[in-house]
Amino acid sequence: MAMSETLSYLRRGRGVRRHSWRYTVMAWLPLIVLLIAWELTTRSGLVTPFMLPPLSAVFGRIMEDAASGDLLTTIGTTLWRALMGFGISAVAGIALGILISQYKAVRWFFDPIISVGFPMPKIAFLPIMILWLGLFDVSKITMIAFNAIFPVVTATIAGIEGVEKQIIWSAQNLGAGRKRLMWDVLLPAALPQILTGLQVALPIALIVGILTEMAMGGYGVGATMQTASRMADSPGVFAGIIEIAIVGYVLVQAMAFIRRRLLMWHPEALDATAA
Amino acid sequence: MARWTASLFRYSPLLILAALWEAVAQLGLVARSALPPLSDVIKAWFALAVTSDFWFNAVDSLYRTFAGLALAVVVGAAIGIAMASSKPVRAVLNPIVEVFYPLPKSALIPVTALWLGFGDMSKILLIFLGCMLPVTLGAYNGARGSEQTLMWSARSLGASRWRMLMDVVFPSAVPEILNGVRTALATSFVLLVSSEMIAARSGLGFMIGFLGDGGNFDAMFAVVFTVAFMGFIADRLYQYAMQRTLQWR
Amino acid sequence: MQAQINSQVSSQIVVENLNHMYRPARGQPVLAVDNVSLEVRPREFLALLGPSGCGKSTLLYLMGGFLPVEKGRILIGGKPVTGPGPDRGVVFQHFALFPWKTVRANVLYGLERAGLPKNERLKRAQAYIDMVGLQGFEDSYPSQLSGGMRQRTAIARTLAIDPDILLMDEPFGALDAQTRSLMQSELLAIWRRSPKTVIFVTHDVQEACYLAERVAVMSARPGRIKAIVETKFDRSDPHLFKQPAFIDKVDEIWALVRNEAMLAQRLEAH
Repeated sequence: MAMSETLSYLRRGRGVRRHSWRYTVMAWLPLIVLLIAWELTTRSGLVTPFMLPPLSAVFGRIMEDAASGDLLTTIGTTLWRALMGFGISAVAGIALGILISQYKAVRWFFDPIISVGFPMPKIAFLPIMILWLGLFDVSKITMIAFNAIFPVVTATIAGIEGVEKQIIWSAQNLGAGRKRLMWDVLLPAALPQILTGLQVALPIALIVGILTEMAMGGYGVGATMQTASRMADSPGVFAGIIEIAIVGYVLVQAMAFIRRRLLMWHPEALDATAA
Repeated sequence: MARWTASLFRYSPLLILAALWEAVAQLGLVARSALPPLSDVIKAWFALAVTSDFWFNAVDSLYRTFAGLALAVVVGAAIGIAMASSKPVRAVLNPIVEVFYPLPKSALIPVTALWLGFGDMSKILLIFLGCMLPVTLGAYNGARGSEQTLMWSARSLGASRWRMLMDVVFPSAVPEILNGVRTALATSFVLLVSSEMIAARSGLGFMIGFLGDGGNFDAMFAVVFTVAFMGFIADRLYQYAMQRTLQWR
Repeated sequence: MQAQINSQVSSQIVVENLNHMYRPARGQPVLAVDNVSLEVRPREFLALLGPSGCGKSTLLYLMGGFLPVEKGRILIGGKPVTGPGPDRGVVFQHFALFPWKTVRANVLYGLERAGLPKNERLKRAQAYIDMVGLQGFEDSYPSQLSGGMRQRTAIARTLAIDPDILLMDEPFGALDAQTRSLMQSELLAIWRRSPKTVIFVTHDVQEACYLAERVAVMSARPGRIKAIVETKFDRSDPHLFKQPAFIDKVDEIWALVRNEAMLAQRLEAH
């Protein structure tokens, strides 16, 4: 719920940027000022470079990593795990949501598991996951999927159950059987909500992915940052933050783009093009 | 009585899972180190519960969560309302919020450890930073949704700008703020447990890692489930309180 | 006994001693349809008129096969209703279009399910889109259309599968007054061109009088058939609404409905 409000907030922000490049610069000015302030503060000696390294040093580190190819492998590894886990949670979550909405027995079994499991900090199960599946990709990806699947399942169920009864009746009246009804009517009608669920799940996948890397190592942005932190290498830590912030930003925007593409028919999309 | 049996039926899958766990472990279908029997985990929990160590760690964890969360709620709501009611504030903070929002908050763990070490303060700062934005966005959207006619009538009744904020804008933002706080509450537990597992010397998350490293898996399972259920119970209590608060709607 | 069998042969829709309990998710079940019997002849235009909440829509949904018949029976062409089917086309008040499909794709949907060859499907869909006056909007999504155009799409979608029976649930209830009167005369024109059995649910007395050949007046909850009134007028007459005979008929039916409407209001207040 809260996420869809967030998204509408972010959408509003995008509408502003459509104006002109000059407007764009103005809109981003506070961020530019903040970055300049960062650089100046560190140069003035108000803080030690250990607490806050100069922005230029951080960028220098990112450039070095990019040149050596480390950047690509680090981000690639994190992305691969996060997107794998996200993909599994998407497919399995939608499938489970469909089954729960269609079969009473499935609902009976999973309903309490979901309502108890959703608000739990499932990251606490990480040591158990390590015990079972080891320290490598399988356990990381499983952990990511385990955390990200909950919003997908609940959104799918809510979406399917929220479909207007008369739309279902119309389809039945026009000759749709049970299977066709699912593919032709229930899923497309539930798509806006399913996408919202996926938009909640994606940041979770990234957060958990980084956490598993921090806790278990094995390359990736999380592991690199953790190593840098242990070695008191603060430019390395801040480089990691900036890298993962950019990755997160791009992923969130990409999801919003996919949403707009898939929901061309939705009043929400039509409003956005009109604005 | 009927209600009692109904909820027993509703939650019976959890009991079935618990029974399955016990059976699988007792029959030796999996290694004992991978899955100790549930009964042993419960025994381990009671053994832990009589130690002061367990309770000190629990208090540490709860203190960090609620301190960080309280800061996030107060500051987050204030910023959100300020953004909604002042154009300059909005112009300045908008791009910062938009860039900071998609940042996976777990990436802040090494930074807060770098700044404030392994103690309470680094966790509080982490939870504060990680949980603020959902509250900010809730407050922002809620305050923007407050009715223009209500503001006009308050204005015409002679309300000052500050009074109007407190009497009209803030109350109408409350429901959305409370929604944001629910998201923040869930996030706070995730950040707490993970930061305690990764960079701490006390707290329940630290205990999980410590017990696991020492091979005391019965107790580790006990603490893992304690933390998980704490998150669940916090959410339920919060929902209950929220329903009570919003009864006027 | 003999008469009853005869009437079954000549009637396309037979409703006999039908009861229906409405069971809300919370609260007590309510008797929505109480011992209703009704016969509709082939190609007849029948209006079901009654105050809101009187069970007239429920009766229509039962005929459509969307709700299970529990007590009494409904026969269509002599066979009991067991579920929805393309022999009965339905038009809902809020259009119930597939919002993710264009106008054309909406109209095509029933034809696809019927397994018509592609060329045939496209030709037929276009014919019905033209018939309801939506040429040029084939590729629009419902959210881009006005209420009247959405209802035209819904009507085209239903007519395209060529049902024998048309079940209409306050189809013009969500439209503004001008669009409504326009749609009324268009519906009559379509009906004249390809006569179908129409059951038309409405709470608008004048609309019922104008469109239908017979008006079945229903009572407030629980819904019973209170009276059936013949309403045959020359509908091509542009001054029909001013004819004394028409006005008298509207008054007569209005008198029947007035009490029920007041009763319904009181029921709602409780």
